[in-house]
Amino acid sequence: MNDAERKKGIRRTALIVTAIAIAFYVGFIMIGVLRS
Amino acid sequence: MSTTVADLHEHHEDHGPAKGIGRWLFATNHKDIGTMYLIFSLTMFFIGGAMAMVIRSELAIPGLQFVHPEFFNSMTTMHALIMVFGAVMPAFVGLANWMIPLMIGAPDMALPRMNNWSFWILPVAFGILLSTLFMPGGAPAGGWTMYPPLILQTGDAFPFLIFSVHLMGISSIMGAINVIVTIINMRAPDMSLLKMPMFVWTWLITAYLLIAVMPVLAGAVTMLLTDQFFGTSFFLAAGGGDPVMFQHIFWFFGHPEVYIMILPAFGVVSEIIPTFSRKPLFGHDSMVYAASSIAFLSFIVWAHHMFTVGMPLTGQMFFMFATMLIAVPTGVKIFNWVATMWRGAMTFETPMLFSLAFVFLFTIGGFSGLMLAAAPADIQYHDTYFVVAHFHYVLVPGSVFAIMAGAYYWLPKWTGHMYNETLGKLHFWASTIFVNLTFFPMHFLGLAGMPRRIPDYSTQFADFNTVASIGAIGFGLSQLIFVWVILSAWKGSKATDRVWEGSHGLEWTVPSPAPYHTFETPPKARIANEAFD
Repeated sequence: MNDAERKKGIRRTALIVTAIAIAFYVGFIMIGVLRS
Repeated sequence: MSTTVADLHEHHEDHGPAKGIGRWLFATNHKDIGTMYLIFSLTMFFIGGAMAMVIRSELAIPGLQFVHPEFFNSMTTMHALIMVFGAVMPAFVGLANWMIPLMIGAPDMALPRMNNWSFWILPVAFGILLSTLFMPGGAPAGGWTMYPPLILQTGDAFPFLIFSVHLMGISSIMGAINVIVTIINMRAPDMSLLKMPMFVWTWLITAYLLIAVMPVLAGAVTMLLTDQFFGTSFFLAAGGGDPVMFQHIFWFFGHPEVYIMILPAFGVVSEIIPTFSRKPLFGHDSMVYAASSIAFLSFIVWAHHMFTVGMPLTGQMFFMFATMLIAVPTGVKIFNWVATMWRGAMTFETPMLFSLAFVFLFTIGGFSGLMLAAAPADIQYHDTYFVVAHFHYVLVPGSVFAIMAGAYYWLPKWTGHMYNETLGKLHFWASTIFVNLTFFPMHFLGLAGMPRRIPDYSTQFADFNTVASIGAIGFGLSQLIFVWVILSAWKGSKATDRVWEGSHGLEWTVPSPAPYHTFETPPKARIANEAFD
């Protein structure tokens, strides 16, 4: 794996896990909204 | 082999760290950030420990001695928040920062600037939390679980509590992103996932747990904030909300949080036991699957914290059996550690002593956990000192002992000097004796019916409480030995690169102390492979 590919991989993985974190945050607040 | 890799670092010796305070404020080096995390964690350990001393002094004999009941409640709340988010979690992040790049042959963490932010958010978060001690109405006193409606009665401290919890969450999430990205993208050539050391594996799983549950805690406290200040009624029954929903959401975070604090401990112990048994870890792959199973199961057991709240019988049955199922992968781990030691050429240096105590005493905490998992029995044990005994056995001789073991194990690699083994053993024996003196009697207190979170109690509980308080003060004082061992480590004999006779892995192929920059050229596949054989 060269440097460019590694940087691309780092960016991709970071974006995916950030999206998961945001989805859990928003998702659980939405559960609260729907149930209250 | 070590010479070969050490040679790679020689031409980088002129690239030293920045001078002065800037080295730490703007740190992007994983070793510097790891060191800061570990020092921060030790500081918080003593602040949280001082609060434990207040609690145990008050409970040493029946009656109100030293503090008002409201302040006592603040102490239990703050002690828990500081120990969980300020001491145990940052300690493991510190170990991760120091060791993961060294173990996988990476030059640094993948996102070093974010790493700096992850750390520096923490002193701000805990500065805010600790400042609430001086606010009108005092520090939060509704318990670390922050259940509404009680927590909404907190005085001026409430928004500061919420803000500090958010900051802690952001710090943890950024740290977890960094760990995942580093492990996925920056491993040495030919280091397949299943060849990774167990500490790296357990941290990868822990990081995924953090990504999934820290935002849930953030969501829960955001809703508390809007209930208090923006007129919503997520958890307020008067407005059509449901306070029990908070408990469900909180424990959806809270139970995986327990494994966030114990899985890296499993990783540390899985590194140490093979080294001092001079054998490879028994069942490496099964350890990976067991850790993954524990992580998965941790998401489907949360309501065992809520059996007394009331739920359908089928719900009780599901959460009871799912919880008991966790004993299976945990048993696999205990079996594998014992099998690793079986017929090994064992020696008992301080890291091994702490690891052995971990295996034995964590198992006691696991067994009392199984007792609490049984729904009918839990209705008796709930909110008693039996629960306090259980989770302290898991967290103190569990997580904290593993952190101590890891600190002793890797200290020569960090400092380049051997610590004083006699003092290390003194620290171990004092800690082990006093930790049992503190927490074992709490099982009896709980079974006899003493409730938790009370500043005074009936006289029939007096004797065991006095014993627990003597043990707690002894345990607290014993930790001063640890500080002395660390401070005096720089005067010890020079450590070799490999440090321990039985150690394996890439981290032992770099010089001691580890140079400021390591693995700028990825280690050759052959070297990486040999390090694991």
